[in-house]
Amino acid sequence: MTVSDDQPWRDPSAQPFLRIKGLSKHFGSVAAVDKVSLDIYRGELFCLLGGSGSGKSTLLRMLAGFETANAGSIEIDGQDMADVPPYRRPVNMMFQSYALFPHMTVADNIAYGLKRERLPRAEIASRVDQLLSMVQLGDFAKRKPSQLSGGQRQRVALARALAKGPKLLLLDEPLGALDKKLREETQFELMKIQEETGVTFVVVTHDQEEAMTLATRIGVMRDGEIVQVATPREVYEYPNSRFVADFIGSVNLFEGRVSEDGEAHMRLDCADIGAEIYVGHGVSCTPGQRLWVALRPEKVRVSTQPPAQSHNVLQGVVDEIAYMGGSSVLRVRLANGKLVHVTQPNLDRDDAHPVSWDDAVYLSWGDTAGVVLPV
Amino acid sequence: MKHLPLATLIAAALAAPLASAETLNVYNWSDYIAEDTIEKFTAATGIEVNYDVYDSNEVLEAKMLAGNSGYDVVVPTSDFLQRQIAAGAYQPLDKSKLGNLGNMDADLMEGLAGYDEGNAHAVIYMWGTTGIGYNVDMIQERLGDDAPTDSWSLVFDPAVAAKLADCGISVLDAPTELLPAAMNYLGLDPRSTEKADFEAGADLLMAVRPYIRYFHSSQYISDLANGDVCVSVGWSGDIFQARDRADEADNGVAVTYVIPKEGALQWFDTMAIPVDAPNPDAAHKFIDFVMDAQITADITNYVWYANGNAASMPLVDEEITSDPGIFPTDAAKQNLWASKVYNARQDRTVTRLWTKVKTGQ
Amino acid sequence: MRRLLGASGKRWVVSVPGLWLFVFFLVPFLVVAKLSLSEAAIARPPYLPLWEWDDDYLTVTLNIGNYRYLIEDTLYINAFLESLRIAFFSAIFCLIIGYPMAWYIARARADRRNFLLMLVILPFWTSFLLRVYAWIGLLKPNGVINNMLMGIGVIDQPIPMLQTDFAVYLGIVYTYLPFLVLPLYANLVKLDESLFEAAEDLGAKPVHTFLTVTLPLSMPGMLAGCLLVFIPAVGEFVIPALLGGADTLMIGKVLWTEFFNNRDWPVASAVAMVMLVILVLPIMLLRNAQSAAEGRT
Repeated sequence: MTVSDDQPWRDPSAQPFLRIKGLSKHFGSVAAVDKVSLDIYRGELFCLLGGSGSGKSTLLRMLAGFETANAGSIEIDGQDMADVPPYRRPVNMMFQSYALFPHMTVADNIAYGLKRERLPRAEIASRVDQLLSMVQLGDFAKRKPSQLSGGQRQRVALARALAKGPKLLLLDEPLGALDKKLREETQFELMKIQEETGVTFVVVTHDQEEAMTLATRIGVMRDGEIVQVATPREVYEYPNSRFVADFIGSVNLFEGRVSEDGEAHMRLDCADIGAEIYVGHGVSCTPGQRLWVALRPEKVRVSTQPPAQSHNVLQGVVDEIAYMGGSSVLRVRLANGKLVHVTQPNLDRDDAHPVSWDDAVYLSWGDTAGVVLPV
Repeated sequence: MKHLPLATLIAAALAAPLASAETLNVYNWSDYIAEDTIEKFTAATGIEVNYDVYDSNEVLEAKMLAGNSGYDVVVPTSDFLQRQIAAGAYQPLDKSKLGNLGNMDADLMEGLAGYDEGNAHAVIYMWGTTGIGYNVDMIQERLGDDAPTDSWSLVFDPAVAAKLADCGISVLDAPTELLPAAMNYLGLDPRSTEKADFEAGADLLMAVRPYIRYFHSSQYISDLANGDVCVSVGWSGDIFQARDRADEADNGVAVTYVIPKEGALQWFDTMAIPVDAPNPDAAHKFIDFVMDAQITADITNYVWYANGNAASMPLVDEEITSDPGIFPTDAAKQNLWASKVYNARQDRTVTRLWTKVKTGQ
Repeated sequence: MRRLLGASGKRWVVSVPGLWLFVFFLVPFLVVAKLSLSEAAIARPPYLPLWEWDDDYLTVTLNIGNYRYLIEDTLYINAFLESLRIAFFSAIFCLIIGYPMAWYIARARADRRNFLLMLVILPFWTSFLLRVYAWIGLLKPNGVINNMLMGIGVIDQPIPMLQTDFAVYLGIVYTYLPFLVLPLYANLVKLDESLFEAAEDLGAKPVHTFLTVTLPLSMPGMLAGCLLVFIPAVGEFVIPALLGGADTLMIGKVLWTEFFNNRDWPVASAVAMVMLVILVLPIMLLRNAQSAAEGRT
């Protein structure tokens, strides 16, 4: 398997399956979607991640055809969608509320799209059976949606959206209505189904964990714009802005000025923490420039003894400890009052020397643990 | 029980303003009194009057038979009066309280006695005939100079009625007046109670039914005045009112009333006091007040109906006393008939035939 | 103690509508039922009593003849059928006119809906009778509509509109339209918009979306609305009396004739009883439709 098979976006010669160019949508004076350009490739499971009001749902509804763009274009599989009404688009959508027809049985819900295509009755029946078994609802064909649990309804909605074999499946908060445990199970089921069917998925979610788990790539949206498009790992480890760093996971943000700009390293003078930060790789910057360093809590080590390294060490007092089971989150107060978050894995069941409240501790991190971000 | 004092207080509070001024409840036909009669009565006696109106004997009768109508004086027509007296709806008049009774026309009161033995329960308010009102120009236009405007054939002859259908024929919704008129036109006794005679009358009406626009007992006044209908079988005074309204509107509509040469129903509208009237004393005062010669003359001058008050005649306008439509000539009087009171079976026969005439069912 | 109080308080609240029904429905109903079994008479009130005490004997006289009479004379059956027919078609016409109205209001911007609903209810601010008389003014031969049509030369003779079945339908549809629009609106406004989008997304053209999703889901509202028109229209008296012709045969008018012209209260009561029995089925349907419309989210 070559790189371009697995990651077509890295292959300059690959043709995008969904091509969005300069797309804008205004509601009154508010730009819900603002000049968005985005390429999505066949077979991807692309997540649009953003807070409420970020424009992710509007973008999805424009793909489905429920909203018309004020500017820009949408091309699916080489075909421009400008004048194509929703009922003619090779696209299906799974609604956040599932939008199951309450007056129809599960089987009739799934068959709805197929009936509109006037397929032979037997063909519809066998396709419905196939879909029902795919979502493991074979015994529920004759039930009404009101007789199903939340998880079952979600699966019916998925089956119905897949029934016509769309080229592109749009999922609006597909797991939003499920409780946490069910959501985790369903995530993997969703991925499995996506792999089996090979259909390109575009998922809208506000849940960054969900996006991280599901996506081949994530598009982070803010105020109608896409601020970063990258794989989950890249978005987490290499956020391109303070917003993304802050939005995805938790992070410590330190502001500083460049005090030394070397070939393969740099130093920042951080008044924030009353210390210097050493960055073990080159950054294009000028001395005196203001920059930010984003440091993930799990990349910080805690010790009661001074660590061996000479730089990137802070001293503080444990202010708060939250035991999370797999790990503990510590809040450490520095001498100047600044709080730093640290995540510690709980490696042993009985830690003989656990860090506890009001302990004086040392915090340290590696030379490349932090991400340098522009102001 | 502890709420009783409060309830008593409220009742007392409500009753107080009512008790301070004596009131009289009068229930009369619509458009059937002079404009100032009530005002004058209140001025003369200090009694406040609540004045309600109706436009059919049936509505009045339903209230009288149900009882507790709350009215002190009502104005039933003679044949309805007779039945309601039989049902026990009216109290005998205390003639000692009716000083103006001597003003009444003895012959007419004698006629009313046929419905109310010894004139025990009622006195005549107005009387009139059920004849034909028509729009002079419209009839002329459609039938020319030979129009049978002095005859029931204007309505009962299908050949004539057909020519008038487009300008509109209206008929009173009053089976006990229309069926006898039709029977009379056929040469039968209008007072007959034979089923066959009723049926013959109904057949005649059904023959002209296609040309009748509607059956209604008050609508025709304004319609005739506006030219919305051109012929109405109606009550004399009502048609004169239509004539007056057309004159006032100055809309070029000329209306005339005629007692057809074949004859017409003569009826009496009477004043009577319900057996359960709340204020019979004031009721007597009102009836006596209306029997005053001047008051009755005022009413006749306003509503254009003949009255039964001999003393008032000199005070009635010459224009009215000389109109043969209101005070028929002696020759015409020969052909007037009084209504016959039917028993329940006959009533049902007449009503059922009437429904058949109206709906074809 | 608190529970006890709560229970008795609840019982009290429940008993209010019960009392209402008893005083304003059950008692009058029993009075009419009793009347329908007595015999007409020239008396005050104009019927014979149903029972009499004579020494120790209680004599109860039940007169079934009133009901037999309704069967013997085809007038009554025809009047019932005609009333049902007029009420049925009035409900259908109301539906045809009211559905788009209800739909439009339900899909209007939320802040405009109350205004539009107010427009629907606005006619109720004036007297019903006054509005019917206004229609007489519009429809009569010398009325506004005919004069206008003759004025612009479309017709040279007035079109007879008043005192026709057309006028009766017009009057009933006009009067009862809000009774259809309001429950239907309440039904339609509750439907999740995403259902229509889902249908469209699955390939249904707007007309198919309407037929396969909107229409079946608005069935409870349509049924409730139609019955709210149908039930009172069956017994309607004022509209056929004022706008209809003499040959407009409706049970309300027959009842009037029995009561006022024949002064036969027992037969009139029998007609009323039969009408009630005929309407029991649609009333029960209405109850189910209303609870279905409310149950659906």
